[in-house]
Amino acid sequence: MMFDRILNMFTTVSNESHGSLFVVFAIGLVFGVIIQYSRVDKFEKIAGFAMLRDTVVPKMLFLAIGLAAVGLYFMVEAGYASYHPKPIILGGLIIGGTIFGVSMAILGKCPGTGPVSIAEGRIDVLVGAIGGIFGGLVFTVYFDFFKKIMGESLGKTTLITYFQGHENLVVLIFGIVLIAVSIVIPLRQEFDEVDLKQLEEI
Amino acid sequence: MMIRRMPWWLAGILMALLVLFTFSTFGANRPFGASTYVPYFAGILFDLSPEKYPYLKEVHFAGAWEGVMLLGALTGGFLTSVFVTKSFRLSIMPTGWKKYKNSSVISRLVWSFVSGFFLIIGARLAGGCTSGHFLSGMAQTAVSSMIFGGVVLLSVIITGKIFYKSEANDV
Repeated sequence: MMFDRILNMFTTVSNESHGSLFVVFAIGLVFGVIIQYSRVDKFEKIAGFAMLRDTVVPKMLFLAIGLAAVGLYFMVEAGYASYHPKPIILGGLIIGGTIFGVSMAILGKCPGTGPVSIAEGRIDVLVGAIGGIFGGLVFTVYFDFFKKIMGESLGKTTLITYFQGHENLVVLIFGIVLIAVSIVIPLRQEFDEVDLKQLEEI
Repeated sequence: MMIRRMPWWLAGILMALLVLFTFSTFGANRPFGASTYVPYFAGILFDLSPEKYPYLKEVHFAGAWEGVMLLGALTGGFLTSVFVTKSFRLSIMPTGWKKYKNSSVISRLVWSFVSGFFLIIGARLAGGCTSGHFLSGMAQTAVSSMIFGGVVLLSVIITGKIFYKSEANDV
């Protein structure tokens, strides 16, 4: 039964036109390499940012978002991509975001960096992931209750829709500001023992 | 000699390219995300029927997509940690936890489980996580993602201030 459902995961992905199985797997593979190679899967990077002792994560995130925002806008204009913004659900965003932030600072991982960390042998993160599976279970079973907290959708608004006629200027400014922020944030680094040993070898 | 760490700016550029590829019609034609796979896997592991639990129907495709992507991420992370960064080893206690919290393994594991649990509840309430809201959402200039981003940033920093010691323990 479980085996059938795992197989079903692969057939579901192959049957939809959101990349072949190989492409989706490769996207994950590249993601894992970038995260591992830049070491942002480390507790010291995310919890370190919470303590303001490490700024690699925000520097990298702001740069990535700034570049992607400009690139995506022009890809959408050229017909090579489309926007899929998430709805504004105030209860969900504010309550969920608060719970998410507290948990991220304590676990020192997010749902994307956690698995990469497990792949390098972090047992504490594996325990966190098991906790996460139970979180997913509770959310699924009590979805009716959580839906009430999330509230009504106020629409899938994007910033550029507020600036009709000046969309490309606005997205360009947005991108440049984020890139500038990523450069201006002072570089602070917090290392763990393993990384320090590796640093000595360079 | 092999360079064992990628600088933040190179990682940022590559991550932007990966997000753009994921969005593109020649890539996956969808946003990049990474928290929907958790309830999807919970459904598989506990053998929950999508007929009975409407949320599983809602995440049927996104969960499967992110599930396959996650297998790639595990593979990529494993190969890089073994062959490139040489950081692969079994470990329970992060250096930073020992330095700024305590040296109790039980404390770390209990907090890991609890924070892992709430991390997913929070992400599902908000409809996305660091990948879906920060990376993909803010790149679309989505207002929802900016609200999420602001709330998370604030809550991360306040937690960091309250939860950890300001002075390091001697490790």
